[in-house]
Amino acid sequence: MEALKIATENNGIELVRRCRAGDGSAWEEIVSQFSRRIFNLAYRFTSSVEAAEDLTQEVFIRIYKTLDQYDAKQGDLANWLMRLARNLIIDDYRHRQRNPQNSMADDVEDHTFHLRAVGTSAQKEIERRELCVQVQEGIDKLPPDLRTCVILRDIEELSYQEIVDVLKIPEGTVKSRINRGRIELAKVLRRMRVVNI
Amino acid sequence: MNYTDEKIIKCSEFEELLTDYLDGALDKQTHKAVAAHALRCPLCHALLNEVKDALELCHEMTAPKASLTHLEARILTMTAPETAMSCSQFEEHLTDYLDGFLPATLFHRWERHAVLCESCTDLPGEVVRSIAACYTYKMDELPIPEGLHAKILQSTLGTTKAKAVKASWSSQAAEWMRGFRLPISIPQLAPVAMIMLFAVLFFGSTVSADGSFGGVYQKSFELAEQTYKQSADAVLGGEETNEKKSTQEPVRGTFVDNEEKK
Repeated sequence: MEALKIATENNGIELVRRCRAGDGSAWEEIVSQFSRRIFNLAYRFTSSVEAAEDLTQEVFIRIYKTLDQYDAKQGDLANWLMRLARNLIIDDYRHRQRNPQNSMADDVEDHTFHLRAVGTSAQKEIERRELCVQVQEGIDKLPPDLRTCVILRDIEELSYQEIVDVLKIPEGTVKSRINRGRIELAKVLRRMRVVNI
Repeated sequence: MNYTDEKIIKCSEFEELLTDYLDGALDKQTHKAVAAHALRCPLCHALLNEVKDALELCHEMTAPKASLTHLEARILTMTAPETAMSCSQFEEHLTDYLDGFLPATLFHRWERHAVLCESCTDLPGEVVRSIAACYTYKMDELPIPEGLHAKILQSTLGTTKAKAVKASWSSQAAEWMRGFRLPISIPQLAPVAMIMLFAVLFFGSTVSADGSFGGVYQKSFELAEQTYKQSADAVLGGEETNEKKSTQEPVRGTFVDNEEKK
């Protein structure tokens, strides 16, 4: 396990070194390794495939420009890259909250895209997909502060301390927002008849 | 054991005595006789077991834990109303309860509220389910839209054919050199580098021609004297040349050689 971790780290360092030297295929490898994770994170905040796509592109442009700043001593490539992506996506989300005319949330078409995009073979699979759509709809209905904390804690599975570092707010505030956000989400999902007992 | 005194009962009698036997209401001798019959007769033994199981089941049904807790909660709320918890307090502590971080005093008050309050009683279960739903959602990642990779490559590399972009020799060499700038960039070596730099500057600038440090001070005294004389001349005027000659006292250091040559 430790050997695998070291190998991944070395692989990351080597990829970045090749990118800095101008090797296009190394950059392509980074893009294909991380684009799905970053796109999905962007989608959870934007609730729109198009907006998430644009945001993912912006994030990669920024990553490309800042590859020089990557220092292997500060953690492996995946951590550094996802931290950067998270910060950019949250900044964008906060910016859109301040300027609601740019907001693309609650776009029904986007949610249904999610359903259409997958195969409809098994009933269980359809139900699972439907649950995911409902969860995203539920998250969309949360106030921005609570929504950010719920996504970071219960979907991205960051620790309290990591959330404190990303959002730059006190730990007590993070804890109470997570608690409030979970309760609000449960109530929203109850109204949608998703979590009824 | 004396078998002659043993009381023997029939199957029909066993059935009649069974309830009293289980309640422990029989006299010693009859109790023994019933037990002995149960051991001898497999049919009566099976009947005894069935009745025992049914009775146990009845006990469990008549004393369910939940109703006791509910009753307990009601009694406590009526007798110690000051320990009751409001719905907002209940919600405030929900995550701590789920994480197991709630202190004992709060824990009991919280559980009591969960049992008694109809609007809150389902909430913890619903929160757990919605966290689980979030986890399912996390596992279910959207596929990347078609063409996104190409867009990213175009906006960063300027082409979608990434493999065609090769590293030049010079940039490879520059990247290779990056690794060799390390000694100074290692934080532990920074003080050493500072000391060495300081030493070079100190020795380089302060040792005079004869190798002594003292010359420096004498030189500075001399310069100070010259400056004083120049300013005095500027104020008083005249005799500049003579005065200047007289200031050229031999000093140790850089001027010593000149004096010696003279």
